[in-house]
Amino acid sequence: MRMTMPGYAVLFFLLFQWVSCTGGNGGLDLSMYDYRDTKKLVRFVHDAAVLLESDENALDSLRSDRDRYDKDDYYLYVYDTSGVNVFHAGMEFLEGRHLGDVVDVKGRNIFQLILEAVADSCNPHSWVHYSWWEPGNIFPVPKSSCHFLVTTPGGRNLVLGGGMNYPLEEREFVRIAVDGAAAEFEKEGKPALGHIGDPCSRFNFRDVRVFAAGPDGAVAISPLMADDLLQMNLLDVVDFTGTKYFALALEKLSSGDAVWQVFLARTRFSRQPVKMGLYLKRAVSGDDTLFFGAVTNLPMPP
Amino acid sequence: MKSNDGYKYGVDDLPPLRHLLVLSVQHLMLMFMSLGLPILFCGQIGASREVTASVISFSMLAAGIGSVLQSLRLRYLGSGYLCPNVCGPSYFSLSLSAAWIGGIPLMRGMIIFAGLVEMILAPLVRKLKRIFPPYVVGLVVAMVGVSIIKTSVSSMFGLRFHGDSVSGTDILTGFFTLLVMVFSNVWGKGFLKMYCLLVGIVAGWLFAALLMPGYDISAAALGKVPFFAFPSMPWGMSNISFDPGMMIPFLVIAVSGSLKSFGNLLASQKISRPELERVDFRPIRNGLLTDGLSTSLAGFMGAMAVDTSSSNVGLAGSTGVLSRWIATTAGILFSLFAFFPRFTLFVSHMPRPVLGASIVFAGCFMVMAGFREMFHEYWDQKRTFVVGIALFMGLSTAILPELYARTPGFMRTFFTDPLPTATIVAVVMNLLLDLDRFFRRQESNSPR
Repeated sequence: MRMTMPGYAVLFFLLFQWVSCTGGNGGLDLSMYDYRDTKKLVRFVHDAAVLLESDENALDSLRSDRDRYDKDDYYLYVYDTSGVNVFHAGMEFLEGRHLGDVVDVKGRNIFQLILEAVADSCNPHSWVHYSWWEPGNIFPVPKSSCHFLVTTPGGRNLVLGGGMNYPLEEREFVRIAVDGAAAEFEKEGKPALGHIGDPCSRFNFRDVRVFAAGPDGAVAISPLMADDLLQMNLLDVVDFTGTKYFALALEKLSSGDAVWQVFLARTRFSRQPVKMGLYLKRAVSGDDTLFFGAVTNLPMPP
Repeated sequence: MKSNDGYKYGVDDLPPLRHLLVLSVQHLMLMFMSLGLPILFCGQIGASREVTASVISFSMLAAGIGSVLQSLRLRYLGSGYLCPNVCGPSYFSLSLSAAWIGGIPLMRGMIIFAGLVEMILAPLVRKLKRIFPPYVVGLVVAMVGVSIIKTSVSSMFGLRFHGDSVSGTDILTGFFTLLVMVFSNVWGKGFLKMYCLLVGIVAGWLFAALLMPGYDISAAALGKVPFFAFPSMPWGMSNISFDPGMMIPFLVIAVSGSLKSFGNLLASQKISRPELERVDFRPIRNGLLTDGLSTSLAGFMGAMAVDTSSSNVGLAGSTGVLSRWIATTAGILFSLFAFFPRFTLFVSHMPRPVLGASIVFAGCFMVMAGFREMFHEYWDQKRTFVVGIALFMGLSTAILPELYARTPGFMRTFFTDPLPTATIVAVVMNLLLDLDRFFRRQESNSPR
């Protein structure tokens, strides 16, 4: 078959039309995520949530089709709002048990974190970060799980979740923690700083730690340690190219409430500097203005 | 070279207008792929929409002008081969560092400096005849292909970020696209063979359209971008500055960029003038001079650094369509599209597996052209070790990047990628294993 030039032009035009007209993810906004893994997980849990909201007998359907909800990389679980596990695709032996008091290896109460997450307006997919384990192994694995709070047609409130082990750090996770901390400060003022700095709170997970500083760069919550070992004004902090990234971020905040500031850091295991991101948000409580921030690695090209 | 059949064009042949346009569009598709670099760059430095649009437009203009200049055959300018320019990935990391230290003005200054270094190095290439015997040239050409393996395969598998998952649909689309290109090239005749890359891209894109709703761009997003716009220089971009502290890193990357272009130009010469028994260094020198000029020009314009494109050279080799007028036309079209941002945005949304398959397709030719050149002549133990050790060291930089991250500073500086590493090692080994001949010559010349 020989394709002529007009033929190629028509095909190209059709492609242009298709590209211009196709839609997104069926109404679920996943644009805040960088990684495909994260998007897949949210879509997976969201689809199950839609099922539970539309069918009172959906829990029976989940139990009769466990393989469908136990994937290689993640699985589905359902709690009632008192902390009793009513379905667990990956660990069936947990079903029917009250897990509201379970803490991870760092002392974080997982169900409490889930309840805080579903109530947090800054956290649209209710992300929670904690340590869990893989069946048959005795070492903890870092985990990030997303959740949806649903009401079944019969009026029962359930929390659905699904998590991935060894998650890739999303910028969205950092934004949620920092925005949440800023919101808490705006609501409660300086007394909130103690809770925000607590290593077991939702504002601190893995290597991410929400810190706070005043407009003069003076530290209110240290970015490094629980106590204040950092003998440095944040305005003087520089990256490996000499850029004062905190000061730069503050400057950009003069025209907005939140900003992502990229900077470069040298690591021992990479020839090239690694790109990192500082997310900074302004929060005002009465006469007090603080800047809440956290640092994370940014997605790297393959 | 005269055309050797109805559907192949030699380096100086001027195809009929219709063919010229379609063949240029085929090369244009590969050139568009490089626009991912300025987009990524601007994203990383948090540039505004205006600055991003300017960097992309000026990068297109610089690459387009560079492609046209490279296709010319003036006394000191232009290799006269089909060897277009694209945004150079080798400069990406350092440009980012420069932009962080001193903003886009410093990036512009350092790119101008790197271009000048390339121009100074160009005349020296004639002195390199002895240290670049044909089998080392073959190795360099092969390593040009090897150096794009990482980018091409990760794109073909649809991977955007390190560590993310790969979907079976992406892999299927990538292989489907690649096979369409290969089948069209191997079994196709006439137009199908000549336009194999374009056929593959269109087929792959349609295939992706059927299977993957994830590869989309909404009409609203396209609508935000103007159909026609003059590139402008926003405030904050218009100055040019230099930093002595960045001179050494940019000097090294300029040497590395020259070596890469050297490989691309050698490959172009091999496919355009296969009758040559020895390397003709004059067009290579002119090509390197043009490459340096285009890089400096990019800096002046406020664009990212440009570089010769291995993928386009590979495409020329695989199709046997070598006319330099195609590079001229593609360069002009690429520059023109700098004024049509909406169309550019559309093309830059080509599914990654399709893009990756195109680069794999072109890269195959580069690797095999190099191997053919290497094994063209007789083979002995000396060559075995020159090429073998260079291959071991060159490939190790890609396979064991963490190892090189912990090496002493001078190794980290020069042993960055397979291409410069293999080239440096091959040249040094070749000179070392030539010492016996050198001493014999000294002995025979000394008075008895």
